[in-house]
Amino acid sequence: MSRTAHRLLACALTLVFATALHAQNPAPAPAAAPDLSDPEVAHVAVTANSIDIDMAKFAQTRTRNAAVKQFAATMITDHTAVNAQAAALAAKLGVTPADNAVSQSLEGGAKQARTSLEALHGAAFDRAYMDREVAYHQAVLDAIDKVLLPTTENAELRKLLVDVRPAIATHLEHAKQVRSQLGAPVRTGM
Amino acid sequence: MIVWLLMLLVVPKAPATTHTVEIRGMEFHPAVLTVAVGDTVVWINRDIVPHTATGHGRSRWDTGQLTQGQEGRYVARRAGETSYACTLHPTMHGKLIVR
Ligand SMILES: [Cu+2]
Repeated sequence: MSRTAHRLLACALTLVFATALHAQNPAPAPAAAPDLSDPEVAHVAVTANSIDIDMAKFAQTRTRNAAVKQFAATMITDHTAVNAQAAALAAKLGVTPADNAVSQSLEGGAKQARTSLEALHGAAFDRAYMDREVAYHQAVLDAIDKVLLPTTENAELRKLLVDVRPAIATHLEHAKQVRSQLGAPVRTGM
Repeated sequence: MIVWLLMLLVVPKAPATTHTVEIRGMEFHPAVLTVAVGDTVVWINRDIVPHTATGHGRSRWDTGQLTQGQEGRYVARRAGETSYACTLHPTMHGKLIVR
């Protein structure tokens, strides 16, 4: 993988999660691309998946809505599978994930989102969680389509992106379906 | 002539065949499959994420969760049309027609 590819990947991941974690306003301001090493990029990817898994695990303990519960279960199953594939690719490329500033800022953002969600119960929780999941998967899909696929040259990384894309698109549709069943206006200021 | 007709009656039907439905890109390929009674349908998951093929209605079947590369099979014992879906991804649908 070239240095340029890393920068783009790191930039895209930062954009994705900066927007997804502050969910309601996904207007990506082009952040400066942090100069991440291979091990750091791998750590960011794993962290990003893990954040969605943890959020889903929390949602399962909080929601009483069957459709929300089922959605959360699918997120845990699928993002765990994607993480395993990403870890396998990192291992194959000889990369050991290393903690870094982007991962830490993702974790910080996730903590904030989690705090907001922890204050909510019942239908208000369900709507806020599903709003976040719609924004999150839309941001990931946009990053794949607009930044990652057009610029990634490494064949194996490209294949992983191509393989993951339909799952993200399906999650987005699924999230929108569940969100629309919940009714009520989209909440602002998460 | 009568012997020939009798033979026709006892001649065994075409042997049961096995049909494969590939699950890739979060879709069933083919999405609609027609088979004969006695045929076997095999679903194979080519995606990274797990899937199921779970029948609705009378002739229920469920492959359970299939991880990447895993197969699930169902022997079509009864004629009829069954819609099925993936329980993990409600946007994924297929139809099995048994004649
Ligand atoms: Cu599925």
